[in-house]
Amino acid sequence: MRLILFDLDSEPRECFYPLVLSRPIWELRCGMTSLGEKLIARTSPASIAGFLPDYMADVYRENSDWPVNDPTSLAGDDLLLVDARLKVDALDIESVGPSQVGLDEQGRCLYVRVAEADLEQLDTSSLESLLASARDSLPVVQGPLACWNYIWDLILANAEQLTIDFQAAGRSGIEGTVEEPLSIRGSASDVYIAPGALVHPQVVIDAEHGPVYLDEDSEVHPFSRIEGPCYVGKKTLLLGAKCREGNSIGPVCRVGGEIEESIIHGYSNKYHDGFLGHAYVGEWVNLGAMTTNSDLKNDYSNVAVSLDGGKAIDTGSRKVGSMIGDHTKTSIGTLLNTGTNLGAMALIAATGSLLPKFIPSFAWFVEGVVTKGFGKGKLYETAATVMDRRGHSWTASQEAMWDEIFKLTAESRGDAVKRGRRLLYAKHNK
Amino acid sequence: MATVQERVISVTAQVLQLDPTEIKLDDEFGADLGAESVQSIELVAMFEEEFGIEMEEDAALAVSQVGNAIDFITKTCAEQGVEV
Repeated sequence: MRLILFDLDSEPRECFYPLVLSRPIWELRCGMTSLGEKLIARTSPASIAGFLPDYMADVYRENSDWPVNDPTSLAGDDLLLVDARLKVDALDIESVGPSQVGLDEQGRCLYVRVAEADLEQLDTSSLESLLASARDSLPVVQGPLACWNYIWDLILANAEQLTIDFQAAGRSGIEGTVEEPLSIRGSASDVYIAPGALVHPQVVIDAEHGPVYLDEDSEVHPFSRIEGPCYVGKKTLLLGAKCREGNSIGPVCRVGGEIEESIIHGYSNKYHDGFLGHAYVGEWVNLGAMTTNSDLKNDYSNVAVSLDGGKAIDTGSRKVGSMIGDHTKTSIGTLLNTGTNLGAMALIAATGSLLPKFIPSFAWFVEGVVTKGFGKGKLYETAATVMDRRGHSWTASQEAMWDEIFKLTAESRGDAVKRGRRLLYAKHNK
Repeated sequence: MATVQERVISVTAQVLQLDPTEIKLDDEFGADLGAESVQSIELVAMFEEEFGIEMEEDAALAVSQVGNAIDFITKTCAEQGVEV
């Protein structure tokens, strides 16, 4: 059976901005692993292929062994096509079996299982054609099936998913190096310290309310307190961190200060003090010292988030922090409001006031307003420098992808820049 | 109506908090008028708002002298159909 993960270039994916501007939805993380890794583990495919928006296909090919956006992968085997938004627990079927379709509430295909013998009756010329013909001709199972609808769904599910993933991983004990004294609260069986991990003296691991997994070559500095459930990724460094429950961090992150119920993708730094709570942070992000986000409003009402600078969406939760896109940098003292959507490739020079709740991608936030700043070329130069420091290259494909993201986000950025100019002008003409 | 030169000097004086009579056409925004990088960004935004134009940021920020800024803005206004 071949598993085909798909992330169509359609309206639902905008609900995962800014994190999916530069990656397919299946690369989003919840718990210890990505959504794609969970779907693969559930279905045990013989081979895998992926379909994602064209503008990011070349970058994904550089980092993947799978066929990407290749129509030939839609033939020659039993197929299980799965929308990356589908929750793994909702995929409650055998990977191979009679052909059938599962739908979401709007009638879109969330999965299609096709026996190879049935493929000839379907249009396999493209993914979209295959999905349409499958929906028209194959039996539809009763739905709707549960799926991830918004980026904050992952934040809110992270703590519970961490516990599930820890149990699925089936590891516990100390295989790394621990420099005593180490204090473990709760059951030692709920702690795993992987080979190569190094825990300095005077660290507290509190597994009373959830497991703690320190992955290979991670390092925990003195006076860190790690409360479970928590996953610390490979080569991630905790610097005296107050790491409260429900965090997924890394790989290759450097994290200090206080963090709670947050997901941080690889190669991002929050080196210094400051609070990050109920946040989702992309790759190659740097949060300056004392960058802090609010994750709870003073009136305890539900947090609302604007995905594009327009009308805000009620998250249904009292606790949602910030969504921060790849390559974004904040200055010292940045204050992020509750439910802030901070785009990708943005640069924040804080003024000491709370930031607006929506800052578009590629924005230069200067003197309290969104500006064009020094443009995307300068941001690319910085991205290349940052990546080089970690042994990664800024490639032509990445630049082409980010050029497309620049265009994709132009409208919301243009509106914000015009608003910013008016505010600046008014300030100087008082 | 004020000329492009008068308007450019007025905006520059506001952003950099200078006496407009002390700004000369051959002054460099950075070396002579003390503009920091953040103020350069502000200047571009303020010129765009003052004249109702859009400037390509790399080209605009490459302009270093007041006199060159007047020429650049005059040309941009003409290209974008803005009367000055």
